[in-house]
Amino acid sequence: MTLVMVVDDDQDLAEMLSIVLNGAGIDVDLVGRGDEVLELFRNNPPDLVLLDVMLPGIDGIEVCKLIRAESMVPIIMLTAKGDTHDVVLGLEAGADDYMVKPFRHPSELIARIRTRLRRTNSDIAGLLAISDLSIDVQAHHVLRGNKVISLTRLEFDLLVALAKEPGRVFTRDALLSEVWGYRHSTDTRLVNVHVQRLRSKIEHDPENPEIVVTVRGVGYKAGALVHS
Amino acid sequence: MQRVGFRLRSSLAFRVILSTVLLSLSVVWLTGSALNNQLSKGVKQVNLDSAIIEARSTIFNAQYRLALAQGEAEPIIRSVISDVITSATSLGTAENTRLIAFIKTPGQEVSKYDYEVKSEFLEVNSIPENLKVQVRKSSEIKWTYSNFAYPGNSSTPIIILGDKVKVPNAGQYEMYLFISLANQEATLELIRSSLLLTGFALLLLIGLITWLVVRQVVRPVREAARIATEFTSGDFHQRMDVHSRDEISTLGNAFNEMAESLQKQIARLENLSRVQQRFVSDVSHELRTPLTTLRMASEIIHSARESFDPNVSRSAELLVAQLDRFERLLEDLLEVSRFDAEVAVLEGVDFDIVTLAKRCIEDLALVASENSTSMVLSVSNESIMLNADIRRVERILRNLLTNAIDHADGKPIEVTIAHTEHDVAVGVRDYGIGIEPHLLSRVFDRFWRADPSRARVRGGTGLGLSIALEDARLHNGELEAWGRPRYGAHFVLTLPRREGSSIEARLITLKPTT
Repeated sequence: MTLVMVVDDDQDLAEMLSIVLNGAGIDVDLVGRGDEVLELFRNNPPDLVLLDVMLPGIDGIEVCKLIRAESMVPIIMLTAKGDTHDVVLGLEAGADDYMVKPFRHPSELIARIRTRLRRTNSDIAGLLAISDLSIDVQAHHVLRGNKVISLTRLEFDLLVALAKEPGRVFTRDALLSEVWGYRHSTDTRLVNVHVQRLRSKIEHDPENPEIVVTVRGVGYKAGALVHS
Repeated sequence: MQRVGFRLRSSLAFRVILSTVLLSLSVVWLTGSALNNQLSKGVKQVNLDSAIIEARSTIFNAQYRLALAQGEAEPIIRSVISDVITSATSLGTAENTRLIAFIKTPGQEVSKYDYEVKSEFLEVNSIPENLKVQVRKSSEIKWTYSNFAYPGNSSTPIIILGDKVKVPNAGQYEMYLFISLANQEATLELIRSSLLLTGFALLLLIGLITWLVVRQVVRPVREAARIATEFTSGDFHQRMDVHSRDEISTLGNAFNEMAESLQKQIARLENLSRVQQRFVSDVSHELRTPLTTLRMASEIIHSARESFDPNVSRSAELLVAQLDRFERLLEDLLEVSRFDAEVAVLEGVDFDIVTLAKRCIEDLALVASENSTSMVLSVSNESIMLNADIRRVERILRNLLTNAIDHADGKPIEVTIAHTEHDVAVGVRDYGIGIEPHLLSRVFDRFWRADPSRARVRGGTGLGLSIALEDARLHNGELEAWGRPRYGAHFVLTLPRREGSSIEARLITLKPTT
């Protein structure tokens, strides 16, 4: 059974969240303080973390960095503010997605969680190649030569999406629907921040990217293959 | 000339220096001319005196020598006259040469001998007639000023002096001396030019001194003006340097005190605004968490409403609907508070406004058909790119469309998009109940209703158009409204296609022609 860790200091909301998640067949671990997260996380690793930004102890952004430092688990931030600043901070700290309180429907939350947990591209067998990297989709590995590059599931999905269709230029909207499962979203910050994060892990020089290439005014595409 | 006029009006220093120099010029002019008069008078007097003495001695010498030659023969007398004249003319050189005329007084009996002599190139008619008359009447030396053209020279001022001389056996003669005043003129010229030069130098010095003095006064004033300008542009840390204890330092101190007090006031206001903004943000956060819980709880109740009795079931629906409305109101209030605190920021991206408009129309099509109306889009191009905050533009479009659906009265709504190289415009026209022209300016007011008795069909917040206007202005754009009762209303949004530039033209006529 899937386990989701819910980190929120509001007990009523936390209880409500667990009712909703349990209703969808998901187990829930509740944590009320930022500084209690890491211990529980190590003892009982969840499949996904729902993380509020404002927390007693350590704030959510900091908690996000701590978790990211030792795990590639999907993280969805819960923020009460739609402000760019908070959202971008959360994404830069390593969150995969965010939801602004109050959410429209409980089903929306469930859908987001399912998107982040699903096994994508399980139909692709063998290796994908992009620039000087090779991607083993089944094994969830990215290799440069013999060296494994560790990516979060979201970063992996983003890279696979681009590598699957090497010639295609993806608009940000297209990537949002392909990777995040959004329809009609106009929030391009998600794409921008994650492309930056992905580049910082896979590019030789993140300032002059050769693997995830920006197409000005349109979006992104996969860089040309390099045969070594 | 215009430049001078401008400087006169714009620069205190220039004005002070110019007036000082002009006043000094008149003073220097007056004293200079007085000095010049005095000096030339003195020089002329000295020259006159020496000319008279010289003439007197020459003529006396002639009279004396001729008196001694009384009774001598004609050749002796002639040689005496020649001798006298030669010795007199041999004084001085070139222009300073004395010229002498020795002529017989007319009106006497004709003598046997004619002793009339005159220097070379001297004409008898060079002697003014009235001098001759005076000489004949008087027993003293007479003189007059005149001009005389020496050979190779233009006219030179001279003094002519004359007296009577008795020649033995030949009656009365007159002797005239021509003395050049070229030297005197040169002296006078020197005096004049020295005075002019001195005067000019004096004026220059006065100008310089005035400039130095004025600068001392004007510099702090300029400094104050500069600092005031910095203040205006938002740098409140500028202060004037105060070194002395004079009037200027009083100005400086007063200015600095004013600056200090202004800075405090501004800091206080900024702090108030920050506290206010903080409060709104905190309230929103505090409200949103319970609202999230409420929403999820209501959704769970709502999804199970089939199993409730009709009253409870309806209540669940109302609960969900009102929570929706409450949330929209909260969002709008927050947005308004952001505009009020001037913290709303643009996040510009490139997007196609036609696609966006189509999507908004598609999303609202269901609501429109519930209100038995529809939306028709006509565009000037299939794709019109612009750089703007897509979230805000979408919100403007949604607000305009929702407003039109609310007031369309079941008649179709026309949406027009027009563009130029520089701007893009969206018009939303309905043919519904319309609005009184004098109420048009109020449609963008917060919570304003044209007809208070009319219920909001969509359960809008009453802030939509007000926010749309602020969103448009944030883009340097315009949102305008037209309306007539029973003829409907027309809202036109005009935006620059580049973020940061201003709109150049209205692309859609606000007032319909038909």
